[in-house]
Amino acid sequence: MKLTHRIIVYLGLALFYLFLLGPMAWLLLCSFRTSDSIQSGRILPALSEFTCLNYLEAFNLNNFPQLVGNSILIATSVMLLVVLFASLGAYGLSRFPLKGKPYLMLTALLPQFFPYVLVLVPFYVLMSNLSLVDTHIGLILTHTSITLPFALWMLTGYFNAIPRELDQAAAIDGCSRLAILFRILYPIALPGLVVAGFFAFVVSWGDYLFVSILSQSNSTQTLPLGLQSFLQSLQVKWGLITAGTVIAIVPTVVFFAIVQRRLVAGLTAGAVKS
Amino acid sequence: MPVTMDTKDLAFQQPKAGAPKDYRTPILVRLWKEAFGYLLLLPALAIILGLNLYPTVYGIFTSFTDQSLLDPNHFNLVGLANYFKLFADPIFRLSFLHSIELTASAVLLQVLFGLILAHLLIQRVPGIQIFRSLAMVSWVLPIITAVVIFRFFTLPNYGFFNLLLTKVGLSQWTRNWFGDENFAFLLVLIMHLWRNIPFYAIAFMAAMQAIPQDLYEAARIDGATRWHRFIFVTLPNLRYIILVMVVLHVTFTFNNFDFVYLSTGGGPVNATEVLPTYIYKQAWSGYALGYASAGGVVMLVVLVILVMICRRVIGGYETQ
Repeated sequence: MKLTHRIIVYLGLALFYLFLLGPMAWLLLCSFRTSDSIQSGRILPALSEFTCLNYLEAFNLNNFPQLVGNSILIATSVMLLVVLFASLGAYGLSRFPLKGKPYLMLTALLPQFFPYVLVLVPFYVLMSNLSLVDTHIGLILTHTSITLPFALWMLTGYFNAIPRELDQAAAIDGCSRLAILFRILYPIALPGLVVAGFFAFVVSWGDYLFVSILSQSNSTQTLPLGLQSFLQSLQVKWGLITAGTVIAIVPTVVFFAIVQRRLVAGLTAGAVKS
Repeated sequence: MPVTMDTKDLAFQQPKAGAPKDYRTPILVRLWKEAFGYLLLLPALAIILGLNLYPTVYGIFTSFTDQSLLDPNHFNLVGLANYFKLFADPIFRLSFLHSIELTASAVLLQVLFGLILAHLLIQRVPGIQIFRSLAMVSWVLPIITAVVIFRFFTLPNYGFFNLLLTKVGLSQWTRNWFGDENFAFLLVLIMHLWRNIPFYAIAFMAAMQAIPQDLYEAARIDGATRWHRFIFVTLPNLRYIILVMVVLHVTFTFNNFDFVYLSTGGGPVNATEVLPTYIYKQAWSGYALGYASAGGVVMLVVLVILVMICRRVIGGYETQ
């Protein structure tokens, strides 16, 4: 009974993970194969067909390093801004007697549910009136605005769970109100801050929709746009595309490995009582 | 005992002792103290209001105009003309249908498979921790990379899936999956499942672990089978998290633009066209901003209705 139970569990897990990881593993394997090897129609290549040339070729493309640079610059800035603004806001919502607090929360969270394609049109007009089209600042602000609602909501939940006695004790010791946030709440809410930052980073890193509208030259293009243009080129070079895809995946997966334990608790903060 | 009393008293008296002082401080300083909480919220609220809420409200206004991308600063009010045009447009109606089909089937299957996977992940078998920590990898990937992964996996000539079919002697089944009218929509659905099922599973698993064990004990004593325990103990306790995940993903799936646009572009022959891609094309290829905005407003209304239906059907919010 015990053994059959185990076998059923492993079998079920194997099916799910084959579906989840199989396609990913195939892409990873092929990113290390020559284009000829990929097109040979063999599933398992000979050892001699393995190569790192695809990655070298990607980085030798004239605009690829710039794509990576733009993506890193934008996603990192968004991450820092979101953590800063969301934690300030969450501190306000959690610790100060604001009038109309439920309405403030609702106003802040509501945009999370709006169709982006509806936001996009006036958004573009607004950005062009502010001369922020095709600038890094414009993209950073955009991604900050789409990730802030969720981060704010999540961190408010986190801060609410921290006992107020801690702030009071610090206040008695002469800690200013801002210092309480940075020196008392930040260290305790660190897992929450990391998850909020991770969320902002991942959304910004993967965004295609807003970048496709706001970026109009190589100087602001990010990896998703670059990959899409590789896909659309007449002579699709799969060796290059698979390598580029792996490069786009690596930062998110590394970041994910760091926050993995905290991720679920963070993303469903308030939804799961523990 | 007296020692602790002293510190406690101190803690309570400190703000009181400061209170009279407050009245002597200049009014500006007092205002600053009161405004501090609002100031903390100001940057976040300014960005959200300015860059999200304002464009949305303006977008609703735009839907009543004939604004064009070619000359966005000059437009006329046209009343409901865009909406009449929209409902008369067969491709809009098709996209509408596809969006509803995709959202309903994706979310239903995600809940179902999410529950199954959560049930597997909660079993205490050796090595389960590895499965748990790997689960959400597909969720964190940029959608473009998920699309590349699936397009590469299903390539007509040398994609793994077709190679496998050929290997097992089913070469007559091989095809260009994303280019096939009958399968493109299914693939879009599969990509949605692939990305989101693990998130459901992990969230459900966390909620399952929080269910008190004595409920299961009591059910067992009453002679409930495994299946009964799942239906009568687990599911009712998961109501709230199911509602949260469903609302989250109805919104995500219904609004999602990237999966379809990047994998099929809405083709072949509109077989995968959904509202976000259709509206996007109207605005940025057809330059019809007013018309596109009307489509966006319809989406917003439909989304509100969908979320209300979910709350009605699942319930569970009153328990929290």
